[in-house]
Amino acid sequence: MTLLAVKDLHTHFVSRDADNRVRVAKALNGVSFSLDAGRTLGIVGETGAGKSLTAQSVVGLLRPPARIVSGSVIFEGQELTNMPAAELNDLRGGDIAMVVQNPRTSLDPLTRVGEQLVRLHQVHTGGPQALSQQRALEMMEAVGIPDPLSRARSWPHELSGGMAQRVLLAMALMNDPKLLIADEPTTGLDVTVQAQILDLLRDLTAQFNMATMMITHDLGVVAHFCDDIAVMFAGSIVESGPVPDVFAEPAHPYTRSLINATPERFRMGEKRTLGGQPPDLYNLPLGCTLQSRCTYASDTCKATVPNVEIAPGHLALCHFAGQLAEKQPVKDQASRNHA
Amino acid sequence: MSFQRFLLRRAIMVVPLMIGVVFITFMLVRVGSLDPVGRLAGPTATQAEFDAIRESLGLDKSLWHQFAIYVGSVLRGDLGESWLSNRSVLDDIRERAVISLELLFWGVGIGTLVGVPVGLRAAFRPNGRFDQFTRVLSLLGFSIPTYWLALVMIFVFFYLLGWAPPAIGRMSLLVTPPDPITGSYLIDGLLTANWEAAWSSASHLVLPVICLAIVSAAPIIKQTRAIAIEVLASDAVRYAHACGLPERTVRKLVLRNSAVPVLTFVGTELTGLVGTMSLIEFVFAWGGLGQYGLNAIISGDFTAVQGYVLTLALFSVLVFIVIDIIVHLIEPRSELS
Repeated sequence: MTLLAVKDLHTHFVSRDADNRVRVAKALNGVSFSLDAGRTLGIVGETGAGKSLTAQSVVGLLRPPARIVSGSVIFEGQELTNMPAAELNDLRGGDIAMVVQNPRTSLDPLTRVGEQLVRLHQVHTGGPQALSQQRALEMMEAVGIPDPLSRARSWPHELSGGMAQRVLLAMALMNDPKLLIADEPTTGLDVTVQAQILDLLRDLTAQFNMATMMITHDLGVVAHFCDDIAVMFAGSIVESGPVPDVFAEPAHPYTRSLINATPERFRMGEKRTLGGQPPDLYNLPLGCTLQSRCTYASDTCKATVPNVEIAPGHLALCHFAGQLAEKQPVKDQASRNHA
Repeated sequence: MSFQRFLLRRAIMVVPLMIGVVFITFMLVRVGSLDPVGRLAGPTATQAEFDAIRESLGLDKSLWHQFAIYVGSVLRGDLGESWLSNRSVLDDIRERAVISLELLFWGVGIGTLVGVPVGLRAAFRPNGRFDQFTRVLSLLGFSIPTYWLALVMIFVFFYLLGWAPPAIGRMSLLVTPPDPITGSYLIDGLLTANWEAAWSSASHLVLPVICLAIVSAAPIIKQTRAIAIEVLASDAVRYAHACGLPERTVRKLVLRNSAVPVLTFVGTELTGLVGTMSLIEFVFAWGGLGQYGLNAIISGDFTAVQGYVLTLALFSVLVFIVIDIIVHLIEPRSELS
């Protein structure tokens, strides 16, 4: 059953420059994906590709000057893009929970951890205070916080990064969400703690039967954690599909270079990196956004770009999707680096 | 560190600070070209009279000797005698401090009560109409010279409109002052049921208080706005929105998280405004500590200047200690060091 369906979402930053001319940064350009109940989707991409912005657009957390220009977000049959702010507020923290990066600064510094959990439960579920307190302790237990009763009395600044992230997870679980959006939940944590948090997250999604949208720039995380993957570049999902398919046969040149850029591949002697800068969102080229950096690019790429379905559910935004294996790069490495 | 130990340490740290303040003011007053002897002796004095006055004031001794004598008496709680009024400086200051504190309390109090909500409201909608309007107002408040504002207010509200009483002192000369209890005419008038005095005192307070409120509100608006905008952009507020907390709860969160920096700023304002107070008191012939200090500086009354600066320094230190205590009470992260 489809829980979340995002269709052709366009989000722009509209601002004015010093001469009062309107400047538009096209940050999301037709993002579409869907997420079934209980599935885990990993969204990867480099900084500025629009991963977090996709999440913020979905739950209506955009701040001016960013706004959704067109497209639709349907959660459980309800359209979210034109939903009144109060109803959307009920959904956030309720059926849609979020875990963010920087957990230590994200908690309210002037409220004890336990009170924050109780407050969140009271806001969305209500009921007797004692019940919320009981639930808070249970959730702290569920996310592996030792001695929840004394930890509930801690101030956020007294927590370590890993502990704070566990608290954020407990916050997310408080109201039994159907969808969990985890926006780089392990960034800024120690590597050992990262692994613990990821394992915990995987257990919890199964235990609480949540669908999860996992935003990360770590392909390894997606490979171990997710059912599906969506690769973002310059505000578009350039490739999406089941994790095994995409990793076994990346159909988009960008996905290929991403996978080839992992440390494991480097060690295997494959040193192929994608040169150049991400495209200017204020001035996106016609056709494929990767054209200036792609070794396969031809003139057709400068006009249009099709979304090709290579296998069921495996889509890539490229003329040559599925044919990369037999295709020779148009430009060779040396000349590209030289340019 | 326990709270008591923290307070004790802060109190002890006041001592070297005060020694520094005493030293600097003592030397600064004497480095200038002020010569109190000439003023006291008058234009017809002979050299012998000059020398006699100089000797009686102790000004013929070496600078270090004078300093040693002064520190000795300050430690005994004696701030010396004013050469102008021939009264104990401590008595003079004690009498006038209340008068100035009353003005400072109302002025900064109203400035804060107006400035903080205005700054917050501006922050909730940056670059909105309200924000732009109040930005111009606070810019005006910043840039208008205090004494000029005071003069124009007297001109408009006393001379042109006749709404305000004449700007000569804290009460009409025709009204009998109330029996002194606290030293504030308004409070004493109310306490002794001397309604006429209380009313007269209140009406005299209005213009200088408004003047001080305008001067203090301008920076408070600007600073509160900046602080609240920073808090609004913080991770904590982002996350609160992501958790779907109602707008009211989020605003409360913003208020609580802005409280400490705003309070600290109001504290620095409070100590900074005692200088501005001098000018306002001067224009309104208020007769408070500020005017006393200004007069002492102009006429080279060394002991009075020293006592005045020492009092201001002590006041600042006290304000900061009080703020430290309040911050400690509302901020769990405060480190006592």
